Order: sequence, then C-alpha cells, then structure tokens
Amino acid sequence: MVRRLPEFLMIWVPLLLSAAHLISFSIWTIWISFTPSTLIPVSGWVGLHNYTAVLASRNWQIAFDNLLLFGIAFVLFSLMTGLVLAILLDQRIRAENVLRSIFLYPLAVSFVVTGTVWSWLLNPGIGIEKLVHDLGWTTFHFDWLVNRDMAIWTIVIAAVWQSSGFAMALFLAGLRSVDADIIKAAQIDGAGPIRTYWRVVLPTLWPITITVIVIQLQFAISAFDLVRALTNGGPGIATQLPALVVYDLMFQRSQLGRGAAAAVLMLLILLAVLLPYAAWRYVQRRQANHA
Amino acid sequence: MPITTTRRRLLAGSAAALALPAFARAQGAVKPRLTAISQWSAGSDGAAITALGKKFEEKGGIWQHSPVPGFTTEMMNKLRAQIIAGDPPACSQLKGPEIAAWSKIAPTVDLDSLVAAAGYEKVVAPDLAKLHKPAGKWIALPLQIYSTNMLFLSKRGMDKAKADKVPVTWADFNELAEKMKSAGMAYPLANGGTRPDDGQKFEASFAGISPTAYRTAIMNLDKKALQGPEIKAAFAQTRKIADWCDPNVGAQPYATNLKRFVDGDMGMLIMGGWAQGVLKNAGFKFDDFTIVPGPSDNGKPVFLLNADAFIFWQRKEADLQAGQTLMAQLVMDPAIQTMYSQITGSIPVRTDVDLSGAGWSDGQRRTAAALKDAVASNQAVLSLAHNMAQENGLTAAMIDVITEYVKNKTIKPEEAVTRLADAVESSR
Repeated sequence: MVRRLPEFLMIWVPLLLSAAHLISFSIWTIWISFTPSTLIPVSGWVGLHNYTAVLASRNWQIAFDNLLLFGIAFVLFSLMTGLVLAILLDQRIRAENVLRSIFLYPLAVSFVVTGTVWSWLLNPGIGIEKLVHDLGWTTFHFDWLVNRDMAIWTIVIAAVWQSSGFAMALFLAGLRSVDADIIKAAQIDGAGPIRTYWRVVLPTLWPITITVIVIQLQFAISAFDLVRALTNGGPGIATQLPALVVYDLMFQRSQLGRGAAAAVLMLLILLAVLLPYAAWRYVQRRQANHA
Repeated sequence: MPITTTRRRLLAGSAAALALPAFARAQGAVKPRLTAISQWSAGSDGAAITALGKKFEEKGGIWQHSPVPGFTTEMMNKLRAQIIAGDPPACSQLKGPEIAAWSKIAPTVDLDSLVAAAGYEKVVAPDLAKLHKPAGKWIALPLQIYSTNMLFLSKRGMDKAKADKVPVTWADFNELAEKMKSAGMAYPLANGGTRPDDGQKFEASFAGISPTAYRTAIMNLDKKALQGPEIKAAFAQTRKIADWCDPNVGAQPYATNLKRFVDGDMGMLIMGGWAQGVLKNAGFKFDDFTIVPGPSDNGKPVFLLNADAFIFWQRKEADLQAGQTLMAQLVMDPAIQTMYSQITGSIPVRTDVDLSGAGWSDGQRRTAAALKDAVASNQAVLSLAHNMAQENGLTAAMIDVITEYVKNKTIKPEEAVTRLADAVESSR
C-alpha cells in the first residue's frame, strides 16, 4: 500500500482537481445564465429569459444551422480522407515515414495559423482563384470564402485539412493491429484486396471509427479559433458558430448572462454527443465481460 | 564572504518594507504614482502612450502602465478582473457609453475641479463632453479624436480618372466613383471586410445625408427616426458604396487594400485619421493622397466622433491619488495633446490647439477644421461603428444588421430598416 501511494497521488489528485474545476465552473456558468448579469456577475433571477433571448436571436439560429452542417460534413470528410490515406499508407510503400509526417504535420499547426493561411489561399483576389486566372484559365471560379452560401464550406475544407492526419494516424494504428493470419486466410480463400479490406479489415475498425467521430464532433462543437481566423463569422454573419456567439455575447457585448446561457446550450449539444457515446461504451464493456 | 540570512533578519526586513509606504505617507512626501491599463502596446499607439509616460516621469511621477495587447475587449477583461478583485487601476482606457456603464460597477474619481481649473469644458465638443460626465460629473477625460468619415483621395487614382474636384456631397461622390469606374478601376473604393468597416460605410452615409436624423435615430434611438426616410436613403447609399467595394476582402482589415489605393487601382477610402499612420508606416508619403471631410449633403462638414479616453477609478492610496491628479492635468494640457496626436495621426480634443505649425499634416489640419465647423453647426455626432454612440450590446446588434446588409445584396434597403429597428427593440 505504501509503495503504491505515489502512483495514487499522481493519478487521483490531479484528476479530482480537474473534475472539481470542471464541475464547479459548469455550475457557476449555469447559475450566471439565470441571472441578469451584464458587465460583471450579479445575483438575481430572470428565469429562462436569457435562454429565450439567445434562442430567438438571428446569430444563434445561424450558428446552430451552421454547426449541424459543419459538424456532419467535417466529421464525414475527415473520416473518409483519413481512412483512404491510412489504407494507402498501409500498402508497405517506400518513404512511409516521410509521408506519414507530412499528413500529420497540419495537426502540429495551431488552428489560428491554419485559419489565417487558408484565408489567404481561399481569397479570390489573391489566392487560388487568382493563381488559376494567371495561369490562363480566366473563367475559373472559386470564391467560396466571400460567398455567403458557400463560406461555411471553406471552414470545412480547412478543418478537414487540419485533422485528416489525426484520423489517419488512428486508422493506421488500427489497420496495423489486424491479425495478419486473418488477412492471409482471406487471401487463401481467394478474396481480392478490395474485398479483403471491405469484408475483413474494415469491420475491425469500428471502435476506432467511433472514437474518431466523437473526438472530431466535440472539436466541431467547440470550434472557435479556426473560424475566428478564417472568416470571423463572415461574410456578414453567415459563418457564425456557437462558440463565436458565446464569446461575442460575453466579451464583445458585455452580456454575461446571455453568454452563459449560450455556453450552457453548447454544453447540452456536447452532452447530446457524449452521453450516447458513454452508453455505447458501457454496453460494449458489458458484452465483453459476458463473452 | 557568503551572505547569510537569518530568519529574524528576513522578518525584520519584510516588516520594514511593509511599513515603508505608511511611513512615506506619514511624512507627507508622496511621489505621484499611476497604475494604468490600456490596449495600446505597439505601433504609433504604443509609442504615444510611452511618450506620455515619459512626460509623467519628468514631472516626478512613477508610471506603471500595463498594456493588454489586442482589442478594447481584451483590455476590458483585465479591467473586469481587477474590479472584481477590488483592485482597479488608478486609470484605464475606456471610451464612449461604456464609461457610463462601467462607472456603475465601481466608484470613480470626481474630476470636476480639475476640469474647471484647466478650463477644459469650453474647448471640448458638447456631445463628447457628455460621454465623460455621465452623471453630471467629469469622471473620465478624452485623450485624442478621430473622425471615422474622413475621405482619402488617391492622387494617382484622381489622375487616372482625370478628376480634380474634391467631392462634397454624396451626389459628387457617386459621380466621382462612376468616373473612376469608367476609367478602369473595378473597385473605386478601398475597403476591408470587418464589422467596423461595414459600420463605417453606413454611418458615413447616414450622417452625411442628415446629421439630425442620425442623432435622433442612432444616438437617441427614436422609434420614428429609426424608420424615417433618411435612414432608408442611408441604406440605399450604403448599397451603392458596397457595389464599389472589392467583395474579395473576406474578413480582412482595410489596410490590405492600402497599396491598391495609393497605386490608383482604387481611388478613394473612407476611414479615420489613423489610416495616416498606417500609410506612413507602410512607406507612403503624404503627397500620395489627400484627406478631406467625408460627403455631406448640406455642404457643411459632418464629423463622426471617435475619441479615446481614460477613466479614473477611486483609490485610497495617497500616492495614487496624487498620480491621478497629475495624469488628469497632463491629459488636458495642450502641449501633451499636441505631442500625442502628432504621434498617432489623430487630432487634439481641445478645439483651441493651433495646428498650423510643423509636425501636423494637412489631413490633420482639415480634420481639426472640420471638427470646429461641425461643432459650430451642430453636426458633430458620435460614431456607431466605433462604439461611441451606444453601449456594446446595442452596437453589436445594430452592426449585425448592417454587416449582413453590406454583404448580402439581396436584402432591400426597406428590409434593412425594419431589421435595424427590430434589432434595437429586441436588445433594449
């Protein structure tokens, strides 16, 4: 027991401290969301007023629609790109290490940098569109960044670029852990490479896929720095996302109560993703124990 | 010989250190000290506040400035934290109606006697003075002024369009823009894509069409004026401006287009005097452009006021109080205002400062003259886009409507008018 004390302290003390922080600040935010706080937190009770005000605001409605679109598109595309990259890298090719580093590299770059760089690349006046025009294809058109209807997709592009490498790394680890004997057995049975992947290898990747989806979704919900650097919610207010709305309400508009309400709404969205995941994990573990 | 510190010596030393300020107070010999926070950390803003600090030290004070880089909001977060902790700075940057809002959450210093001694009230634009004495007493002091609707004309752009007449009214402006367009400029007006940038286009349009209607609608939030014909005309003019602006800027600042402006690919720019400093830093010369008051339909200059200021927070310490007095005197001093504005490209708050000498640009002289004229004809109004007309919450709600209108050309002016009135109503 004495020997295990240091380990016990190392793990549990920080864990308990973080949990206490998380829970106390969440409760504090929930409390603020029911008060008439503006510049500084004040006590008082306004009921659901802050929530109805946020839900009725155009900014939040746009942000919520954008979140749905961005969340789904971003997760799907980064999963697909990551999986394809992982399968290609899995073919025991030369220079695999170099390629893997290149694909993982964007992950090492902060989202602010990603956003800034892509905001230049996607700017029709100076970026890709101009490059193609200068090459001679003058009818080429790619102005999504400044197009209200398409701007949200530029955020998807930049976010997928950033985190496909992460999905790839996880998938690659999964692919490498598939038992070589099973693959050999499939080959002996006469399955081609595509059939082998589709029927034998990929089904073993489900747990990894779910993990990647959950991690990417919680990123999508809390996305802030990327959007701030890339479009800053524009053109106009077309690419608002919930985190931008929270920041805007709290620190630009000095409406702490409404900002807290928006933050709590974000927390609820996050729980809507995490709770089913936790339930799924629970069921998985029980099945594993029964087996 | 190694220095040995006994516990007793340490205790005695710290006790002496703790007693020192009290001892100094008892002696009556306090050295004025000022703790200040601002957002001015770099560029001409940083240089100007550093120069102000030097003057403070020359007068025998201790200058403790903590800049919070970034925007006003970042500075406000630090201010908020310090106020909640019960330790506000002796003075902090704060401007517009936020002075009134923040003064309600912590006690401020009554500066009336200092302002009276300096004869300051007579030389400050009335609308500006009101902001700094929200409850009838001066609690904050404006430091420098910009007009957000100055019109910058590119020399090369004017040559290209073969134009030599400076536009006075919006009709003149529109004519010149068309002329520049036919001379081959795809976008006659240099612009950025940020929220304040869009807000500036609208407020310049509105105040230029009718400063009176602007005052009742935007500053006083009068319901009828918010749906009046002038505001509709303002949105229509804003749309014209938007059509002459490069839509490719995305969310980038106006400075992105400054080179195209100087080169004559874009002939005009509507911006505050701070653009002078940015142009100068980018290596351009004053011969490259002219600065005149923005379009005004009645011919008399309209001045959209944007003023930086300091608010003074109550402190019990004698040295901080002495520091506040010294700081207030410095801020109101014509020589200091001259020094400050010459560094940043703004104009002094005092309307009685002579700008004819060296060190001032023609643009600054014209801006100062415009302020004088505008005050005389009651056409100096407060800028919405730069948080002078309303508190942040209301401003942001209104700018939402404006920025969406500027970027979305399917929204009709009358629709925008309704949306703006709704936005005001729902955030009251």
